[in-house]
Amino acid sequence: MGNEATNQATNLEKFEPKIIAFLCNWCSYAGADLAGVSRMQYPPSTRTVRVMCTGTISPHHILKAFQKGADGVIVAGCHIGDCHYLKGNYMTIKRVAILQELLKFTGLQEERLFLNWVSAAEGVRFAEMIRTFTQKIKELGPSHLRTSY
Amino acid sequence: MKEMSEKVKKLLNEGKIKGFVGLKQQHGQPGPHLFTKENIADLESLVVGDVRYALNKVLLKLAHRYPKDRFGVMVRGCDERGLNELFKWNQLSRDRVVPVGIACSPALAEACECYKPYPTEWVVGEKTEGIIRSKRLENNEKLNQDERLQYWMEQFNKCIKCYGCRDACPMCFCKVCSIQDRNFILTGKLPPENPTFHLSRAIHMVGRCIDCGLCEEACPSDIPVRTLYKKVGKIVEDLFDYKTGDEPEEKSPLNLLGEPTLDISDVNK
Repeated sequence: MGNEATNQATNLEKFEPKIIAFLCNWCSYAGADLAGVSRMQYPPSTRTVRVMCTGTISPHHILKAFQKGADGVIVAGCHIGDCHYLKGNYMTIKRVAILQELLKFTGLQEERLFLNWVSAAEGVRFAEMIRTFTQKIKELGPSHLRTSY
Repeated sequence: MKEMSEKVKKLLNEGKIKGFVGLKQQHGQPGPHLFTKENIADLESLVVGDVRYALNKVLLKLAHRYPKDRFGVMVRGCDERGLNELFKWNQLSRDRVVPVGIACSPALAEACECYKPYPTEWVVGEKTEGIIRSKRLENNEKLNQDERLQYWMEQFNKCIKCYGCRDACPMCFCKVCSIQDRNFILTGKLPPENPTFHLSRAIHMVGRCIDCGLCEEACPSDIPVRTLYKKVGKIVEDLFDYKTGDEPEEKSPLNLLGEPTLDISDVNK
């Protein structure tokens, strides 16, 4: 029993979350790039998917990421009003808000889905976002969809 | 129940409608039927009661086939909400549909937990007060997060992927269906990829589901999908102050870009 508990504890310590980050081409991807070339340190937990606009991300894609075992999903795009396509992120925020409520209702922990606006100049903000989100997912533990179903 | 057939007969004889989509007793049970002036005697077996059917779906097919003609249709409260949404989603033209209303019985309203079991105008039945609070939703929300996940995964995994919920849904009018897209949902696997399969459908019901409950009646595995879609309706109401199907003009929140109604502080709670 005690052994199991310690095993679990070490497993949790070893747990490296897998996070899918959908980044918009014009702002957040450039922000991530800036964080990279400025050599800012952040955990290697994210797998980036570059999209032309966060407005192109269908809730299917987010759900599919969770289905395939992602522990967390980040959607990051331009600030409201800065969208390269003018209004793409208006749609994103509605979709994510609805999806979060739905995840909450079905017990899938809506905290695992995170929306943020990161501009091309905000490398620091990007690194900080990845740090805090990775920490949060570490506290939440592995996705139940991966472990139990 | 005579009032309905009288009214339909009048509409047909006056030439105001080309046909009337209603229910007819056939092969020992009620089924959808197109009543026309040529076969006006059919109206004697018109079924008016608590039987429900996705008549709007039949109407959609007819309207696509005969775009210049005008059709009548039997509507309940839910059907009227459906018509409102179909008009707004540009699937039907308002001036080519003549609704003939029927108010639901209290027993049916109770079973449906319908908040408005009557259309704006009706010829048959009495107005019944709607049920605002949904017990099944409240019971579900009482569970904690782990219990909810367990409950829903258990329910979702009963799915045999028959697409009955989609086929029965009067609001499912897409020509290409995402939950039948092999890139999103693996083919040849049972149960389907859950929760993606059911949540994808739930997402599509945003601003569309008019809470008629035909999906749940169609489901051979008794998955409480209606509870899920009821919640979807509630989410839309809470977030966007939009009650699906109630407004004849205002478009649903995911139907248009509009102005930003939400702030980043409204998400990631």
